[in-house]
Amino acid sequence: MIDWLAFLLVLVSALIATVVVVSLYSLGLRLLTVSGRTPIVTPAEFTDAITVVTPAEAKAAAKKAAKAAKKSPLTDGQKRAALIGARACFVVSAIAVIVGIYLIVPVLHGFLN
Amino acid sequence: MEILLVVLVIVLALFFDFTNGFHDTANAMATPIATGALKPKVAVTIAAILNLVGAFLSTEVARTISGGIIKEGDGGILITPELIFAGLLGAIVWNMITWLLGLPSSSSHALFGGLIGATIVGFGVYAIDFSVVLSKVVLPAVLAPLTAGLIAYTATKLAYAITRRYDGKPDGRDGFRYGQIFSSSLVALAHGTNDAQKTMGVITLLLISVGLQPVGSGPEFWVVTVCAVAIALGTYVGGWRIIKTLGTGLTDIKPAQGFAAETSTAATILASTHLGFALSTTQVASGSVIGSGMGRRGSKVRWGTAGRIGVGWLLTLPSAGIVGALAAFVATFGVVGIIIDTIVAAVVVGGIFLWSRRSEVDASNVVSEVASSGRAVKIKKNPKPKKKVAP
Repeated sequence: MIDWLAFLLVLVSALIATVVVVSLYSLGLRLLTVSGRTPIVTPAEFTDAITVVTPAEAKAAAKKAAKAAKKSPLTDGQKRAALIGARACFVVSAIAVIVGIYLIVPVLHGFLN
Repeated sequence: MEILLVVLVIVLALFFDFTNGFHDTANAMATPIATGALKPKVAVTIAAILNLVGAFLSTEVARTISGGIIKEGDGGILITPELIFAGLLGAIVWNMITWLLGLPSSSSHALFGGLIGATIVGFGVYAIDFSVVLSKVVLPAVLAPLTAGLIAYTATKLAYAITRRYDGKPDGRDGFRYGQIFSSSLVALAHGTNDAQKTMGVITLLLISVGLQPVGSGPEFWVVTVCAVAIALGTYVGGWRIIKTLGTGLTDIKPAQGFAAETSTAATILASTHLGFALSTTQVASGSVIGSGMGRRGSKVRWGTAGRIGVGWLLTLPSAGIVGALAAFVATFGVVGIIIDTIVAAVVVGGIFLWSRRSEVDASNVVSEVASSGRAVKIKKNPKPKKKVAP
């Protein structure tokens, strides 16, 4: 007997989990940018394979981001609100991951009860 | 004699576990290394530790293998250590062959194929519970990559849509690099939960077969521990090879895309593990990479490449089954058969290893299967975003 419901359960739960985590993280990045703190992340180490960002490109990107932040039409209060929103998004997305892991690990359920 | 055989099978199973970790480090860690999210050393260490942790988190998949596929107990059969030995040999030999030929394959399916083939030779077709094979192995094998691909497609679309800016100002997508540190760690954890358990299942099946454990029981704690250590060691050792020779196949994966693909892979594997589906993490990760590629603007699927990957997957289970069946047939001759099996397998594995040393390792043959599945999607360089409304 094939348990089709189980497959559907995997699809739906994995879809919801991924959409929640990715959306929140993206929204956090968007708000972070709006608040004038565009993240510029230089690669941790330049192996042969990495051609994604060169140090010069990263520097240029940082300059562009600073310029855009200076021109921002938002007031300081709005920027601060955006920053708080961004951080809230990151935190909630991290909590979503932790709750997801908690749900599937039966051993952890014992600790909290 | 029996105790010697039990030890031999456990060693063989742990070797299989080790090669599994060795083989799959790239699945979790190639993307963050390629996009520069993590230093290679750090990435490999994290992957090894999380594989170790992941192995302790669940036992559902191990139960599927030790208690589901082969009918044991009342009205069923009692599988012998000889047959498990033959099945493992089938899986290892087939794994080595596909590795040499560069065929995409799944070590998990090689394991199932080998065990099923050996059992059929030993007891006949009726000993296999085909409904369990179908519902817990074959169907998940087909559905999981599709599920992961669909989810990754959706997530990639979302990630790009949410961060897209039409005014040309910086979009902050660099920040996905930080996110990748966590998403790739989750993939490593998920890998530990699913793949380490396959070996636990085999060792448990073995202990049940010699009467050291009651029929239908789950893996013992020491079994969980040794399997966790074996897969973590394999991951750590395998990582160094990848760092040295990481190919260029992954540079087309952007941080946003990598983040979406990894989250989708981790979510799919973790959800499946929870329900006891033994799936191939390689296939799920490949499905996600293809799906997330399709989620980018200006992408087109190379169906030929995608089709070749699919055919390789489909071949694995029956092929490993045939090798397992052959090994089981020889093993029915008793001690002599086991010795012949061991020698033949050692010669084949050693021969393949020596043969592979002859060819130079370079970017073309060392890129992980997941990375090469990225080639199934063709993406135009930087297409301009369409403006929605002129401000």
